[in-house]
Amino acid sequence: MDNIYTPYLMNISDVTDEAPGVRTFRLNFQNENEGKNFKFQTGQFALYSAFGYGESTFCIASSPTRKDYVECTFRQAGRVTNALSELNVGDTIGFRGPYGNVFPIEEWEGKNLVFIAGGIALPPLRSVIWNCLDLRDKYKNITIVYGAKTVADLVYKHELKEWTARDDVNLVTAVDPGGETPDWTGKVGFVPTVVEETAPDSKDTIAIVCGPPIMIKFTLPVLEKLGFKQDKVYTTLENRMKCGLGKCGRCNIGCTYICKEGPVFTAEEVSKMPDEF
Amino acid sequence: MEKTLKKENFNSLITGLKDKGYKTIAPKKDNNLITLCEIQEADEIHFDHIQTNNSIKEYFLPKTEKILSYTIEKTKVSIEEPEGFAVKSVVFGARPCDAASLPIMDKVFNWDCTDKFWIERREAITVVTIACDKCDSYCFCTSVGLAPDSKKGSDVLLTKISDDEYLVETETEKGEGLIKELETVFSEPPSGTPDRQVATVEKKFEIDKVKPWLDENFVHKIWAEFSKKCIGCGVCTFVCPTCHCFDIVDECTMAKGDRVKNWDGCQFKMFTLHTSGHNPRSTQDQRWRQRIMHKFKYYVEKFDNILCVGCGRCSRSCPADMNISEMLEIIATDEGQPEPVSSDEGQPVSKE
Repeated sequence: MDNIYTPYLMNISDVTDEAPGVRTFRLNFQNENEGKNFKFQTGQFALYSAFGYGESTFCIASSPTRKDYVECTFRQAGRVTNALSELNVGDTIGFRGPYGNVFPIEEWEGKNLVFIAGGIALPPLRSVIWNCLDLRDKYKNITIVYGAKTVADLVYKHELKEWTARDDVNLVTAVDPGGETPDWTGKVGFVPTVVEETAPDSKDTIAIVCGPPIMIKFTLPVLEKLGFKQDKVYTTLENRMKCGLGKCGRCNIGCTYICKEGPVFTAEEVSKMPDEF
Repeated sequence: MEKTLKKENFNSLITGLKDKGYKTIAPKKDNNLITLCEIQEADEIHFDHIQTNNSIKEYFLPKTEKILSYTIEKTKVSIEEPEGFAVKSVVFGARPCDAASLPIMDKVFNWDCTDKFWIERREAITVVTIACDKCDSYCFCTSVGLAPDSKKGSDVLLTKISDDEYLVETETEKGEGLIKELETVFSEPPSGTPDRQVATVEKKFEIDKVKPWLDENFVHKIWAEFSKKCIGCGVCTFVCPTCHCFDIVDECTMAKGDRVKNWDGCQFKMFTLHTSGHNPRSTQDQRWRQRIMHKFKYYVEKFDNILCVGCGRCSRSCPADMNISEMLEIIATDEGQPEPVSSDEGQPVSKE
């Protein structure tokens, strides 16, 4: 019988420093067959291990349209992420996944998309943003609102430039008041305020929001004011997880296991959950 | 299949099990504790107790178990799968409530994908229970749909029918196989109706009334009241035969390591603590609510089963004398239902 806790072994093929303490790994399967058979959909997550230190849960930050590799972006914060950040190109890490549900991007075809992210929460949206950009014809206007504490904290800086340069993407970047540099040309303000100023048209539009709980809490009412129905607003939740498989018993909010029924939920689904965030 | 077993034949039974290659786990007295542990001789078995201090759980979900091993050599890692963890064994003399926990937990370990560590142990271990002939005020199996002589989860159930004789009933093919393997130690069933010596466990609450109350009262001042005494030691989760939450950690030297699954518990603050410092269950009343909700609401909705067998260990072991059946009684009785409070009042009190 297969051991559900055994990770794939992956090679780190590229390391990018995104922001202070934030790093992206590109990972390739060491076993070619495993790589060929591996499939995931945007929105799913995985458990990444630094052998000797343990496993940590992050989303898959790359798009399934980019074959042959997966990417993850993490902030150095605890034991495992500190150990991961000691690893270099050519080193081995463990990868268990993909787990969880997906963003229903096929249902979104023909609609406008507004992505709203705060800080280190851009990685899960980056997967779905690239997924939709790689299928650009299928969607109408694409707006991205991204805010971080400071200019230095913005992740994927090279991709933000790329999105700015594209005329089929409307990117609005912002930093918290006090986080701007003298040459900052983006907005200054908190994400909910910036969303209100940007005022995306809610007609025929799907909003995808990801960020710290406090950002989500204040962004949802803004979207409602702009006319977004709760079932047209998506988010991806995170909780501490150990197994990722609905067994270890800790990631639930009420009856809902984030690892199995999530991590992707509509604001409508979230509103029905008990207040245990 | 029905047989009888004379007390004088316990010796040949335990020796027989050994000869057939079984490891035997049975209640044994060790100072003041009655512990389910490995025994070699029938003399070691303790009979005159209400409940063992530890539950049957650790033989299926060990306190700590290796789920993989690895060797690190420069940039390369090789993984080795654990083997030989499921040892052919018999758990002899556990209580029916403990056995009932096993099919309940099969559901979570088989859900969607199968945890082979649980399943392979389930296949390797035969469970022979002895019906309770006495109980104490902590026992509440009859309130959660079980009984002191429930057969749920047992492969074989023994029930005392006289001071020196037990009725032997097989519940599964595995149980029947075991009896056939050791045929000579058993006698033919008695003619007529045997006098089963089974304890009378008082029914304390109507379980059907618990979930409807929980459905409505996630926010309620009762959670703060219930958990006031709780010191968050988590012993309730460890002695519980159905609490199955676990942690996964690496134990490693420079070159070699194991990934291990350890018991964990929802009563610990660390259990849900995010790396950011945010904690969705930051107070003890939120954590106590989680324990009750998981057992009597969430698990029922997911797996159509209460995650509790009424063994009473959590209350018997609680250093703060919290009593789960008394709380469920309050929840289940109309008179005991305080009016739901406004959401402000019902918010958890800070008690980190």
